[in-house]
Amino acid sequence: MKQAAYIVNTGIITAIGNDTAACLDALLHSRTGVGKAEYLKTHWSEELPVAEVKASNEALAAIAGVDTKWPRTAILSAIAVKEAMQPVADKLHGLKLGFFSATTVGGMDLTENVYKEFKEDSSKVDFDNIKNHECGAITELVANHFGINDFVTTISTACSSSANSIMMAAQMIGNGMLDVAIAGGADSLSRFTLNGFNTLMILDKQPCQPFDNNRRGLNLGEGAGYLLLMSEKAMQQCGTTADCKVSGYANANDAYHQTASSPDGTGNKLAMGNALKVANLQPADINYINLHGTGTANNDSSEGKAIEVLFDGKVPAASSTKAYTGHTLGAAAGVEAVFSVLSIRHGVVYPNLRWETQMEDVSFKPATELQQGVAINHVLSNSFGFGGNCSSLVFSKC
Amino acid sequence: MLSMELYITGTGIVSGAGNSGDESFLKEAPSYNTVKLLCIEPDYKAYIPPMQLRRMSKAVRIGIGASKMCMESAGIEKPDAISVGTAMGCLADTEVFLGKMIAQDEQMLTPTAFIQSTHNTVSGQIALLAGCYGHNLTYVQRGHSFEHAVINTQLYLADNPHQQMLVGGIDELTDGSFEALKIAGINRKENSTPADVLNGNTHGAIAGEGAAFFIMTDAKPAIPAVFIKDVYAFTEKDTATAAEKLTAYINNQSLSIDAVMLGKSGDEKSNAFYQLLRSGVFANTSQYAFKHLCGEYATASAFALGILTNAIAKGEALPSHCALNNEASSLKNLLLVNHYMHYYSCFVLQIV
Repeated sequence: MKQAAYIVNTGIITAIGNDTAACLDALLHSRTGVGKAEYLKTHWSEELPVAEVKASNEALAAIAGVDTKWPRTAILSAIAVKEAMQPVADKLHGLKLGFFSATTVGGMDLTENVYKEFKEDSSKVDFDNIKNHECGAITELVANHFGINDFVTTISTACSSSANSIMMAAQMIGNGMLDVAIAGGADSLSRFTLNGFNTLMILDKQPCQPFDNNRRGLNLGEGAGYLLLMSEKAMQQCGTTADCKVSGYANANDAYHQTASSPDGTGNKLAMGNALKVANLQPADINYINLHGTGTANNDSSEGKAIEVLFDGKVPAASSTKAYTGHTLGAAAGVEAVFSVLSIRHGVVYPNLRWETQMEDVSFKPATELQQGVAINHVLSNSFGFGGNCSSLVFSKC
Repeated sequence: MLSMELYITGTGIVSGAGNSGDESFLKEAPSYNTVKLLCIEPDYKAYIPPMQLRRMSKAVRIGIGASKMCMESAGIEKPDAISVGTAMGCLADTEVFLGKMIAQDEQMLTPTAFIQSTHNTVSGQIALLAGCYGHNLTYVQRGHSFEHAVINTQLYLADNPHQQMLVGGIDELTDGSFEALKIAGINRKENSTPADVLNGNTHGAIAGEGAAFFIMTDAKPAIPAVFIKDVYAFTEKDTATAAEKLTAYINNQSLSIDAVMLGKSGDEKSNAFYQLLRSGVFANTSQYAFKHLCGEYATASAFALGILTNAIAKGEALPSHCALNNEASSLKNLLLVNHYMHYYSCFVLQIV
């Protein structure tokens, strides 16, 4: 029998807030983080809105207490990890502690500023801008800063990355390989990703409208989100308790196209269905679905159809929170795991912002009004991405 | 690691020393005088449809090629799940898109290179070509990327016993990464010969790249096969402390080791570490090396594991040109010890 991975605390930073309390407040008051880029220097700042964390690297590094020369992804990661670890930071002696992070951009925000000069004459470039380019280097910076070294890893499976880091952390705690884990992910905005998504013609020039019939695409965002996971033994040592746990997880592949989802959401269905199986739950047990809901024509249609089939038409309250935070890519599942925990803890369903028109090919309507005082026992959180990677997590009250 | 025997029933390698689908693979000692060992790529006709091949970057080609050779050697058409380690991902496509984005001031860009630049492109393309809907993960933890893909394999098989997982390590070298790795002191600026790699004491090591894939399962096969008994992976900045940690770990295994495969690269910092082990815990053990074949790169441990499993599966001895001292008379218990920067790992292997 596997041990449960209890969720003891959360850490988050996104365009709607620098910590868990601020993000929850924005969700409860329908405040979006989508707007004009101020800190990302790009040709597209007037045309493509983004969900940016409104602070310079220097200001963010001061919050985290780290070097201002770190890549922005590492700084965002450190801020969220610091918040997640804070209640137990001095109580972990003798416990095996792991750090499971996820990122897709790594140190690209610095690399892209010096790449041209580096290719022309590498000696003219300050190597500090290149040396942390690797995704794993971001995780290593943060792990070293917090003194985590029992197990440190990084997963990069595009938009599903941090769902997989949470899955692996839950498995390693479940098998008794670790006592404590910080699991989630981080990604900063970069010109590389903004332009990449722009070439795919899936960026919305207005604030996005997930699960709306007239949706036009996604807005990119940035941030970091982590869960502090513990075994029962670790909670006892730290004198802490938890109100929910990671109860299910699954990873599947759509095996359809490098960047597009299959029309009927084959991988989506497999991920959701298998996550429910691991949690030993039926679809009817789920009280809230935090949708992947990027706002692209393709994703929302495939995801919606897969949900309709899996839930046999009886779809629980569902909403996408990407209209608030943008699509934070490698951080998305970490960010949305935090929102799922808050949904259970506070009994809330977040409204799917800016929804206006029912989708023609999907019959269920996302939650559009804030619901409070609801009993939320089980939340399903979806994250689907490039490379056919589809992951779903189930969080349950305990 | 969990207590689980991970049997390796298939191997596929594309490397600077050729590919495992070739009859003459590793039969001859290599001969070169160069700064980098780039992959000698196979004829992909048997593995990849030509239309698709044209669009693939080298990372994807060598990854698909090695994974197809691996599945062929295991006698399977598709795996149940896929677990890949790559420190740098699809660098060439990343650099193509980055270069154009800067040169064209973010305008008139096309998506192909961006689409193929994501770190999970190789694992995604393998799934797509094989029609594999199973679990699919990509690890990007520098010198432990492959090791973590193996640990994930155990976690997956613990939940889904008797399945067959495709597990690989892959990294490609680009002009950009070679330049950065020279500045970082990992790769050597001057030319190297095989003798420099095996016996030299240089600043940095010859650069390399490659793809090595395996079919791994928890179900004991009927034919002779290598199984992974344990993987010990840790990071350590001090070489003497790293050697102490490994020595303690190996002594704790209380195994009679027939041979050890070492990631000796000729790099001076690295030599200090390997010398402590060679004259210490391995003083009476047959020692082999492999980086004269594949060069130094973050997932080279996958290549080394591949040499071992490939030889065992074919009933061959380990290549003589890999031997650093007396060759092993029998192979039962094997170790693979490697490090990349401050990332160390030790695979404990047995043959059944």
